[in-house]
Amino acid sequence: MSELIYNFAVWVDDTSWSTMLHESYYMYNWVESTHVLTLMISLGMLFLIDLRMLGWAFPDVPASKIADRLNIPMMVGFTVMFITGILLFYAVPVRSVQSIWFRIKMVLLVGCAINAYLFHKRMNESVSSWDNDAKAPQRIRNGAMLSLGFWTVVVICGRFIAYDWFDCGYPQPAFIEFVAGCVDGQTRF
Amino acid sequence: MPTSILGPYFRTIVTVAVIAAALVFSFTYARDGVYVEIQPLFEWMETTWFGYVGKTWGAAFATIQAGHLIGLAVLGGCVLVSDGRLLGIVLTDVPHRIVVDRADAVFFWALATLLLTGVFMACGVAMKIYYLPVYWYKMLGLACGILFHYYVRRPLVAHELGSINPIVLKMTAIASILVWFLVAATGRWIGFSG
Amino acid sequence: MNEENQNLADGQNTGLKDAQSSALVAASAIIIFSAFYWFAQIQSVLELLELAYG
Repeated sequence: MSELIYNFAVWVDDTSWSTMLHESYYMYNWVESTHVLTLMISLGMLFLIDLRMLGWAFPDVPASKIADRLNIPMMVGFTVMFITGILLFYAVPVRSVQSIWFRIKMVLLVGCAINAYLFHKRMNESVSSWDNDAKAPQRIRNGAMLSLGFWTVVVICGRFIAYDWFDCGYPQPAFIEFVAGCVDGQTRF
Repeated sequence: MPTSILGPYFRTIVTVAVIAAALVFSFTYARDGVYVEIQPLFEWMETTWFGYVGKTWGAAFATIQAGHLIGLAVLGGCVLVSDGRLLGIVLTDVPHRIVVDRADAVFFWALATLLLTGVFMACGVAMKIYYLPVYWYKMLGLACGILFHYYVRRPLVAHELGSINPIVLKMTAIASILVWFLVAATGRWIGFSG
Repeated sequence: MNEENQNLADGQNTGLKDAQSSALVAASAIIIFSAFYWFAQIQSVLELLELAYG
């Protein structure tokens, strides 16, 4: 499996656009800056929704209204982050795919998506009974806390990708090599 | 009704005076004198506990930086919701007083988080940022943002929206978004410099 | 009583005018500065790109 992923990453790395993006004077920096600054839109709206559920923000605005109205700018922000994220991966595919932090981030993003689906499902089923309450019911608050926690770790992992402590290019313990998907005799890092 | 010593347009006069002082400071040799005077402060910052931790453990620095990004996200969200309401884009069926006041409460804590994490990070790379022009643009933007938010914007939106000139209201909202975006963008550019 | 109410209304009106004019001055300064700053940034990026790629 690790070899399959590595070979795919090498194939992507060999494409001309990947090289152009990676070696461009400014394009990579602009893509990365857009990815980070769009946090203000996507995570900003998401955190406000979660804080509302916990009763820490906008307690006198109906919860469904906050969730509904801030959803669209949030999704616009996530779309931009998704596109720029793919471009960042496309620029440096081998190192990204073998980064422990990148892998944890991707797993957590799946966790965030599942949590968001369950959160919205539960909210829509029950919101009429607690919409005007300052705090949402405990189950909804748990979902909000999980969301806050997951996304905080996503941001931390995203920041850690830049560090080479666990890169395959350096001698690593067997466990790290397994988790990072390092391939014996690989020539590309 | 008693008026201040500067008359009924006290706030306007102070605003003009601050802008004029900032321009004079920026474009004269007064800036160079202050710049040299504060260098010992930045040298000292690197010797503090924050500076030691930031320089020694990259993981600690990166984690605090992630906290800075979270604070940025929340502050950005507050600014967009609050100014979006003033522009008539977001939460238009909620009274503006509620949206602006509640967003302001969260804004304060986000700003506090940014300032605390920012000071920690600054201590870790004090001499690098001292020589970076983009860092000083960020500080200018930050000071401008804080002053604009608390001294100009807040007293304006304390009045009924309907009584405020719509052009002034929209300009205020746009300026608020611009200044905080400038702070965020220059902060990102610090990472690419030096 | 009517005079007091009138004075209060005048005071609030002046307060609003003061807040509006200070907001106008500050917002204009910020918008104009931002325009100059970003124009200068984009210009320097274009010049560097021209230098790098010809």
